[in-house]
Amino acid sequence: MLKVTDIGKTYGKFIALENINLEVSDGEFLAIMGPSGSGKSTLINILGLLDQKYTGEYLLKDKSYKDANDNYLSRIRGDQLGFVFQNFKLLTTYSVYENIEVPLIYSKQKQANKRELIEDVINKVGLEGKEKNTPSELSGGQQQRVAIARAIVNRPNLIIADEPTGALDSKTSTEIMDIFTNLNKAGTTIIMVTHDREVADYAMRTVYIRDGHLYNDEKSVKK
Amino acid sequence: MLDKVMIALKSIGKNKNRNFLTMLGIIIGIASVICILAIGDGFTHVATKGMQDHNTKNKVTLEFTASSDEDTKSGFTRDDLAVLEGIKGVDHVKLTSSNPEASVTVQHQTKKTSATLNKVPKRVKLYRGFGTILNSDDTGNIFISKDLADRAFKGKALNKRLVINDNVYVVSGIYKIGDFEYRPDIYVSKTTFKQLFAGQISQDEARLSVQPSANKKAVGKSAVNEMKKFGEDSKLGKYSISHPDQISKSFTKTLNNITYFVAFVAGISLLIAGIGVMNVMYITVSERRKEIGIRRAFGATAGDIRNQFLIESIVLCVIGGLIGIALGYGVVQIINSFLPFKAVVTTYAIIMSLSVSTIVGLVFGFIPANKAAKSPLVGLLKEE
Repeated sequence: MLKVTDIGKTYGKFIALENINLEVSDGEFLAIMGPSGSGKSTLINILGLLDQKYTGEYLLKDKSYKDANDNYLSRIRGDQLGFVFQNFKLLTTYSVYENIEVPLIYSKQKQANKRELIEDVINKVGLEGKEKNTPSELSGGQQQRVAIARAIVNRPNLIIADEPTGALDSKTSTEIMDIFTNLNKAGTTIIMVTHDREVADYAMRTVYIRDGHLYNDEKSVKK
Repeated sequence: MLDKVMIALKSIGKNKNRNFLTMLGIIIGIASVICILAIGDGFTHVATKGMQDHNTKNKVTLEFTASSDEDTKSGFTRDDLAVLEGIKGVDHVKLTSSNPEASVTVQHQTKKTSATLNKVPKRVKLYRGFGTILNSDDTGNIFISKDLADRAFKGKALNKRLVINDNVYVVSGIYKIGDFEYRPDIYVSKTTFKQLFAGQISQDEARLSVQPSANKKAVGKSAVNEMKKFGEDSKLGKYSISHPDQISKSFTKTLNNITYFVAFVAGISLLIAGIGVMNVMYITVSERRKEIGIRRAFGATAGDIRNQFLIESIVLCVIGGLIGIALGYGVVQIINSFLPFKAVVTTYAIIMSLSVSTIVGLVFGFIPANKAAKSPLVGLLKEE
């Protein structure tokens, strides 16, 4: 799915990432663990094509987008990637349906197809009957379901989730992780950042990041 | 496109009060533009229509201006009429008078005074005396103004005799002349006027009806030349072509200048309104950084974001424009009850107002929209 070679990122003199090498295969469910400030978010911003200012090489589906223009990157984000954020990042004045619709506005999907796609993902995340509610009328878990539905409505190859259970209690976290597990079983590649070990256990593989360096197992982090 | 307008309406509706206050500038600006254009259009319409009555197609009017101010008799004669009708391209000629009143000398007992005289109109509202009509065969009676009655009779004039140019008449009615009214001093019956006074009025205008095939200007020129050579009164004054066309043109031009000036003032109010729009769009953009970030992450290009905010700014201004047009229309209906002519809201004025509001939205929304489009993505997604 993706291959990262020697990626580095600095903010002025501060080194955020250094010599990152990572490969994720199709259908994998990868967890990235690390304390806050370790460079997790910086890494997934690069993986999600949200940040193009880095050194090294990043290939998504064997293709580099480092020199791609903004419009092209937007299209790739819209068509191939889906994002889930810690604080859901829903549009508060929009209904559940309208929130899920957002990625479809900018894709080339035919209008007739839209309703079908949205209803399909609403069923997948178990939000039937909530289409007209606004996020403020929903619980945290339900809001994160909306966010997941929005991330998958365009049927992306890769879902990037940044602390998806960070704002949820453990029971709700389990429900959300079950949804991710099901999506992964259905073939979607998932990269998830978390600092919760239980949540990371849902993934097939976990890598660790500390002070801008990536390690393949926890022991090496502690060294 | 429609869904983008709906998005815009939705976010405008979210901050109704703030956006209404912003729109107020546009509303007032557009309402004034509508009023100014309506008054200007109405006035131009009335003014040019009035002028055109004097200047119908295929007509040329020749004027005779006497050299002496006191000369009220010279002008076009019957012989001149024949000469004019003989000019090539002239269909027929009608002699008229620019001032169709006769100047007469009136006498009561030994007191003499001068007065103006005309044939009686259909009805005259009398101040003293009975009835309102002088019949055609009523050749011995006249109506006189209260002013003349005071001058010649010291008030008591009713049923008294008055000598006009050596003929004796009986005053059978007295009328008042209003402050802003023009009336002659004496009214006589139509028959009397025709028999005794019509010949005294100088025919100082000749209306030439030109054949459709002939050149109006050339005919006018040769008519003036012919009159210079053969006109019976050519030594007493000058002949010229009257140009109601020119009057109406310069009049319209002045009116247009006034319209432009007021439109300029309205333009300044719209400029200020535009700055208000820009300000509110800046606020909107910085309030919605999170939304911009979300949309960008899910596939919106910088251009999509710019368009979204531009459309919002335009929709805001067009709503303001529509309210302004409605308000302007209402105000025009109200001022129409005070104006001597009818102000009209034309389709042109409506189209123009809508274009102006669209342009204000476009111009003043552009910089904030561009700011929204160019914000770095990573920063946007950190917003809560």
